[in-house]
Amino acid sequence: MKKNDCLPLLLTVSSSLLILLGLYLALAGAPDANLKSETGRLAQRIIYFHIATAWVGFLAFFVTFVAGAVYLRTQRRQWDIAALASAEIGTVFMLGVLVSGSIWARPAWGVWWVWDERLTISLVQFLIYVGYLMLRGSVEDPARRARFAAVYGVVAFVSVPVNFVAIRLWRTQHPLVFGVDGGGLSPNMMFAFFFCLIAFSLWYVTLMWHRIRLERLRDQVDELKLRLV
Amino acid sequence: MGYLIAAYAVLWAISFGLVLSMHLRQRRLQLDLRVLRQLVEDAASSDE
Repeated sequence: MKKNDCLPLLLTVSSSLLILLGLYLALAGAPDANLKSETGRLAQRIIYFHIATAWVGFLAFFVTFVAGAVYLRTQRRQWDIAALASAEIGTVFMLGVLVSGSIWARPAWGVWWVWDERLTISLVQFLIYVGYLMLRGSVEDPARRARFAAVYGVVAFVSVPVNFVAIRLWRTQHPLVFGVDGGGLSPNMMFAFFFCLIAFSLWYVTLMWHRIRLERLRDQVDELKLRLV
Repeated sequence: MGYLIAAYAVLWAISFGLVLSMHLRQRRLQLDLRVLRQLVEDAASSDE
């Protein structure tokens, strides 16, 4: 086996194992939350993956922002590829955040969706990054596409800090897990929580590796097509 | 319990969908690459 094949395999296997362990901790390992209803206690276990998914979404959009800014400075294709790969992964994870949050809201609030600040901003953020992917699909010239996408990716990142502070700025229905008064989780819950964050971060790195490799393959295909023409 | 299962099932389905989509795109590109390399080789040999 080549050294180049070894790293992705190692990444894929280790991140998958960590995610499975995280799943165990989230569903069985972590203690119950201090809630009266059985339904509420069970639904609360959604947060371990829900917040980790949101974390990956924010991290991915941050990488898109950085890669876009570096691309504008250097005009190097590798940064455009990193920005695209990260935006695609982030958008998919944000979809996961919206859907899992909505499923949590049903037993917790009695409704699937409310138009409060945090939820609305999350939906708008998801749509902004869908727009990023659509923009990339609509520009033919690769250099223009990369430049437009880089500017869009840098500006779109504003949605991340706005989303993060939304529950601190406004009195939203969305619970604040970590506030100024400290965390709302017990030490054992904290362990499961941070374990899931680390597992999902590694999963993000794995997905990035595979997605970047895919884009490089596409570049090779385009190059060969040009040679044939 | 149903909501918990539904939330995790959705997250798994979305992750699986992303991985599957990447796998399918990679397979198609590898196939294209193989065909194109063959065409380039054929073109080079016919030029000689």
